[in-house]
Amino acid sequence: MSNSLRRYLITRVLMTIPMVLILVTMIFFIMRVLPGDPIRSQLGPRVSEEQADALRERLGLNRPLIVQYVDFIGDMVTFNFGTALTQGERPIKDELGERLPATIELTIPAITITAIIGIFSGAYAAKNRKKPIDYIIRLLSIVMSSIPIFFMGLVFQILFSVRIPIFPLSGRMDTLMLTTFDSPTNFYVIDAIITRNWPALWSAVTHLIMPSVTLGLALSGVFVRLTRVNMIEMLQSDFITAGRARGIAENRLVYKHALRNTFIPILTMLGLQFAILLAGAVLTETTFSLPGVGRYLVDRIQLRDYTAVQSTIAVFAMFVAGVSLLMDILYAFVDPRIRY
Amino acid sequence: MKNEIDINPTQEAQAETPEWLLDLDKVGFVRRLFLARKWYGGDWWFVAISAVFLLFFIIVGIFPQWFAPYDPSAEVGPSLLAPGVAPSSYVLVAPIESGNITVKDIGDKTNNIGFVIGSPASQSLREATDALNDSAPEGVRYQPRQMRYETLEEGLDALAAGEIDGFVASPDELSEVLDKYPTLQIANTLREDASKGFVMGTNQIGQDVFSRIIWGTRIALIVGLSSAMISLVIGVPLGLISGFVGGPLDRVLTLIMDSLYSFPGLILAIAIAAVLGAGIGNIIVSIAVLYIPTYYRIVRGQTLSVKKELYVEAARSLGTSWTKILTKYIFPNVIPSVVIIFSVNVGDAILTEAGLSFLGFGLPPDTPDWGIDLARGQDYVRRAWWLISYPGLMVSIVTLSFSMLGESLSEILNPKLTDR
Repeated sequence: MSNSLRRYLITRVLMTIPMVLILVTMIFFIMRVLPGDPIRSQLGPRVSEEQADALRERLGLNRPLIVQYVDFIGDMVTFNFGTALTQGERPIKDELGERLPATIELTIPAITITAIIGIFSGAYAAKNRKKPIDYIIRLLSIVMSSIPIFFMGLVFQILFSVRIPIFPLSGRMDTLMLTTFDSPTNFYVIDAIITRNWPALWSAVTHLIMPSVTLGLALSGVFVRLTRVNMIEMLQSDFITAGRARGIAENRLVYKHALRNTFIPILTMLGLQFAILLAGAVLTETTFSLPGVGRYLVDRIQLRDYTAVQSTIAVFAMFVAGVSLLMDILYAFVDPRIRY
Repeated sequence: MKNEIDINPTQEAQAETPEWLLDLDKVGFVRRLFLARKWYGGDWWFVAISAVFLLFFIIVGIFPQWFAPYDPSAEVGPSLLAPGVAPSSYVLVAPIESGNITVKDIGDKTNNIGFVIGSPASQSLREATDALNDSAPEGVRYQPRQMRYETLEEGLDALAAGEIDGFVASPDELSEVLDKYPTLQIANTLREDASKGFVMGTNQIGQDVFSRIIWGTRIALIVGLSSAMISLVIGVPLGLISGFVGGPLDRVLTLIMDSLYSFPGLILAIAIAAVLGAGIGNIIVSIAVLYIPTYYRIVRGQTLSVKKELYVEAARSLGTSWTKILTKYIFPNVIPSVVIIFSVNVGDAILTEAGLSFLGFGLPPDTPDWGIDLARGQDYVRRAWWLISYPGLMVSIVTLSFSMLGESLSEILNPKLTDR
């Protein structure tokens, strides 16, 4: 590993820490400084003040804010998320461990769909700029990003599950099958392959199709436009003109020379899209009743379970920061120009 | 002599510049706008079409009462009526000597109104009296005693004998038996307003879907425009100052904004909205927070590049105050991009608001809001497609108009994309 690469990696990793810290801090103070008492709303009005105080005492909520804050940051650093207020005080770590795989299983096919649609139609539109097909692709891409994800999901449910029953309506797997399904990693698709349980694999995959297509389509809109703008810039660069002068076929020029060079900005954007993808996952999981992290967060917020909420959001922040770190490291390897 | 000098460069320019550009110089602003479509092609049409749509939506948002036939939060019809289907109309039968009376005339506690037991007539009667009570002045209450009969004939016999003051039944049933009762007639329809019908059907509690969508336009526009405005008012000055001043302030602000920007916006909005509680002001605030970094990043980037320009340098060396440099020399440069972000931002904010309401973190439950209607309609997806389709389409179309305007403007104004 060269010296410049090592220095870049170290700086990049160090830059991730304040980013996560800022978000976690923000969430911590939002949950406490803003009006509304989580303990009262958790226990309900009929519980006496003494009991509420006892709960506050036990959770350490009666301590000074700064002590609580330092404590919370310490917990986050050691990945100790504590226990939820609701659900019989189950450790949040276990809960997230069960639900994160569902979210990942949803987001990986979704981002693949987004990337495939985005890169190819974006490049095609750029190549045919200002022709009718360019305008059609652009219009469609704006339409895709204007439809609320949950509305698209509901329409798909009506069309492909209620009217024409091709795909299952919701959930991760047939309920009957779940009772006998053994899932050590909680990645249903992987588990089904490991245990050679083909009907379970089929069920898991068909349950994933509608949600991931919904999420992938909804995100592809932005991505088509980003790819297109980048490709247009690339197609105006000198090396393309030079290539044209040398008589290289236009298709080869667009899809090989130009597209390869836009790959790095495209990857960067895909990394940024990941945050939007997670936000979309919250809505998709709600629409399709998938027991993922997004659904968990919404449920806990509705129950005002603030320990679960702040830990889940912290996990989200780490997840996003981790992905963007990973992407940046990837480019540093691919493209030496990025290192500094 | 002077003329000759003037003419020459113009003729040279004429040879280079296309004709349409010369056309543009000759005409006024409005004609120029129209002529510009020759150059911008499809994007011009995108801008024009979305502008027309937006104008229409803004008019609807300001004057929803011009378009909505009913009160959006009143129960005006039977529940889950499909679009275009006429509500099954029940009529009031009364003795001929009473004249064309309505429920209002015989709605007192001392009056008796009959219907066949177990028929939808009872619900229609209840809805009719509820509607009367809603519009009645203080202290007046319509509460006729309800008399139930096993069959239609039994009820009509009682009416003919004067035991009850009116009878509710459907006109189809009556047409067969009413001939036998010469003293009775159909006095009136049960409800006066039901004749208007429901273009987009009714929801599960009998509210008119169309009226709710019209009033929802107002909510969506208020939330979208004001949250985008708040983000703009905070984000743009921060970006200007941060880019212009530089140093540690710039580094800290950029770090904060970048962390905010990298985080899934909806999740942050959910957290803020959940803590603040339901309410339109709270929703606006929690959405506004999300979009501050967008303005900040773009404005800061442009400030950084503009502040190195010679004319800014010149202004500085002349001793112009920095506030004046920022407002008069740098700010005008960022206006085009701010307009574009604003337009896309409003669309995004409307989408986010719908998402928040859909998850149950938005507005108070009975607000006529598209997101709330979608969330409520989700439970009736199998039976009533119209409950989610129309609000969903409205969110999509309004968002589409704002995004299309922003995207096409950016295509037109982006110097990087202009042909060489």
